[in-house]
Amino acid sequence: MPGVILKALTKRYGDVGAVDGLSLEIKPGELLALLGPSGCGKTTTLRLVAGFLAPEAGEIWVGDRCLSTPTSVVPPERRRMAMIFQSYALWPHMTVAQNVAYGLRFKPGLSRGDREARVREMLRVVQLAGYEARYPGELSGGQQQRVAVARALVVEPEILLLDEPLSNLDANLREEMRFEIRRLHETFGITTLYVTHDQAEAMVISDRIAVLQAGRVAQAGTADDLYHRPRTRFVAEFIGRTNVVEGVAASRDTVTRGTVRLRVASGELEPGARVVLSIRPHQLRLGAPGDATDATNALRGTVRRTAFLGDTVDYEIAIAGSDLVLRAAAPPTPRFEIGAAVGVRIDPAGCVPLADGD
Amino acid sequence: MDRSIAVWVGAALALVVLIALPLGWLAYLSVSGEHGATLGHYREAFADPALQKALWNTVVLAFWTGLVSVAIGAPLAWLTARTDVPARGLIRGLVLASFVTPPFLGAFAWVMLAGPNAGILNTLWRSVTGAEEPLLNIFTMPGLVFVVAIYTFPYVYIMVANTLALIASDLEEAAAILGAGRLAVARTVTLPMVLPALASGFILAVLQALALFGSPAILALPAGFHTVTTQIWSLFQFPPKVEQAAAFSIPLLLATALLLQVQKRLLGRRGYAAVGGKGGQRRTIPLGPWRWPALAACLLVMSAAIFLPYGVLAKGAFVRAWAQPLSRDNLTLGNFAFTFFEYGSTRAAIVNTLELAVLTACVGAAMVALLSYVTNRRLVVGHQLVAFLVLAPVVVPGVVLAVGLFIAYTRPPFVLYGTLWILFLAYLTKEMPVGYAQADATFRAIPADLEDAGRVLGAGRLRILREITAPLAKSGIIAAWCFIFIGVIRELSASILLFTPSTKVMSVVIFDLKEEGQFGAISVLGLVMLALTFATVALVQAALGRDVLGARR
Repeated sequence: MPGVILKALTKRYGDVGAVDGLSLEIKPGELLALLGPSGCGKTTTLRLVAGFLAPEAGEIWVGDRCLSTPTSVVPPERRRMAMIFQSYALWPHMTVAQNVAYGLRFKPGLSRGDREARVREMLRVVQLAGYEARYPGELSGGQQQRVAVARALVVEPEILLLDEPLSNLDANLREEMRFEIRRLHETFGITTLYVTHDQAEAMVISDRIAVLQAGRVAQAGTADDLYHRPRTRFVAEFIGRTNVVEGVAASRDTVTRGTVRLRVASGELEPGARVVLSIRPHQLRLGAPGDATDATNALRGTVRRTAFLGDTVDYEIAIAGSDLVLRAAAPPTPRFEIGAAVGVRIDPAGCVPLADGD
Repeated sequence: MDRSIAVWVGAALALVVLIALPLGWLAYLSVSGEHGATLGHYREAFADPALQKALWNTVVLAFWTGLVSVAIGAPLAWLTARTDVPARGLIRGLVLASFVTPPFLGAFAWVMLAGPNAGILNTLWRSVTGAEEPLLNIFTMPGLVFVVAIYTFPYVYIMVANTLALIASDLEEAAAILGAGRLAVARTVTLPMVLPALASGFILAVLQALALFGSPAILALPAGFHTVTTQIWSLFQFPPKVEQAAAFSIPLLLATALLLQVQKRLLGRRGYAAVGGKGGQRRTIPLGPWRWPALAACLLVMSAAIFLPYGVLAKGAFVRAWAQPLSRDNLTLGNFAFTFFEYGSTRAAIVNTLELAVLTACVGAAMVALLSYVTNRRLVVGHQLVAFLVLAPVVVPGVVLAVGLFIAYTRPPFVLYGTLWILFLAYLTKEMPVGYAQADATFRAIPADLEDAGRVLGAGRLRILREITAPLAKSGIIAAWCFIFIGVIRELSASILLFTPSTKVMSVVIFDLKEEGQFGAISVLGLVMLALTFATVALVQAALGRDVLGARR
């Protein structure tokens, strides 16, 4: 099972660099999600890997095979990959069985019986046994999705590519299919590149996530890494919600903004430099205004807005003595009403300095 | 890259032969005199009072045709698209029949129905009222407008009905809930949304009337007036004044191009097609007591366009004297015998027509399939230019195209005049845009994903074309074939200038028969032409699984 290496890929449309010097490694057997907002180049990257597009610069390697360079591109049909499309791209003039069996025609040494057996087995795996003779138009969205999955997996590809495969499903089905795709990945262990703009989907499905911004990888890592140790403001804001606090380093482990002083756990700041911190809303602990005012990172503020979300309550808190307004996600009890004065404490480990504050 | 060069060279050559050469010669000859460039032909043409009159007649005919077409087409579209008028399917079917009926056949039929002396309706009127004067005289400008409009209103109908089908009732209900009454809703929401379609239908009807040759030739010439198209034709009669005809063609060409540009603007400005979307249901409006009167009005229009003309053609085919009542003595099959066995040029003309229709449809369908695939999948650089050029013949009226082809192919290096090939070129050029539009819609409806999905699984480009694209595009391309075929068998306005005694086609023979007053044979050939047309339409509908006017399934 080979991995995939993308080396400094560039692809432009007119003057716009859709992919701009993108480098990335997908380890053998890994499921990596390409995550980013629309227009960040993630679908272009996928189509470069599939061989539908030729890069203007850079290389694509699968194992020890070099598949794409600016001068030579192995065509899609000889890449031993499979792809699942956003639209599913099921052929309406073929039955479910014919759709799934299509890729097996190009596998030498398979008898008709072998092919039929493999199609049957794969349809069983995706829970569509008995649907062989149906046409795609006669299936529900979720069933069409499963046919698309079966068609891609039955050929036992070296690499599996998925282009926002769940975006056409309704919310419940989408949740179910996330786990289904994860289960299939654990069963087959195919090196997989998964394009999505939905961070929750990326976090559920993937081993690692590469966040794309303007045609480059802003940061790649596990969901845990990206959430707790975002390197850039873009990543911090794209993965979950966060408070961004700009200030100046007063010492190696302290950031000030007006009268507010925040201790930072990492302790590697350069005194006097501009610092941008990311503080997740759940890192803010709320209490009575008088609680331990001399403790580390203890602030006072006023509740400006609240929203009850069930598990948590979402607060917007204006910090006293500064222009800071922070979001906090706190347990439902104790409750604070709008206008109430509150004490806020922030764990220094929750204050993450960002390398790139822009 | 090498492949795209081949496509480019091929397309460029074809387009030169089909468009650039004839139109280039046309423009060149219109300004070339014995002593170099001159505007003399234009001066001659436009100073001639007779030609000025023809120009004015054309403007009158086109404008009134547009107006009458809107007056008929728009209410009919609203009734069938939005109300519970009975027999909506039948009405749609009849509109379709009117759409595909060759207008010159309708004109012949109306000569038999409303000619001032022997016209059947006038005979009836005299016998019922005892009056001396005829009730109707079809050989007049109003008569001409009427006969042209009853076969042109489907253009308005199609535009309006398809637009109404896209406007969700939600939009109207949103206005109603805010306090707008029924009339206010119609005035402030429905009408403004339909207006571009209405205006563009009007322009299409005007363009039809501008380019039409058959109906004016049949109705205006006996009445003693000319239109631009008949005038160009008569400039071609002996001794031919080709330069003047060329000079007279250019304004028609420019007017057409200009009007089409306006129409494109009208449709392109706001995203009307985007209205609708999810939950966009269209509820029918109950007419209550007006249901049956509304149906009667629809059927009245249809009797003028279909029932009466078809009836009189059927009668004319099977009787000795078409103006006499149906009786045992009057019935005969002699017209068929005369048409197919005695009259000299008929059989050859039918063979010519079918040969040309099949050849043009096959070559045309293959060309539009290739070109629309290339433009849709953006396989070559500059694919937009290809699409533009393929659609360009839309602006060339048949008569003008014929003048251009005549000039281009009566002289070296390509002498095609006198062969069927010049007709083939005319038909191919004229029908290319219709076929392209159909093929383009076909490929547009096949997402590139379906092809990519096969590529990833291991199938090469050609294999994908054969196993995925071709089966999915098949019915759409068959439809394009049929549209071209129908267009060719009914073509008159270019044929009438390009035929020679050995290369007559059916429409030209029908026109000849008129000179000899052979209405029986005209009726027989007319029925043959209608039968061919409707058989082809049936084939399209079977292929597309929907009706030709563009309704949802």
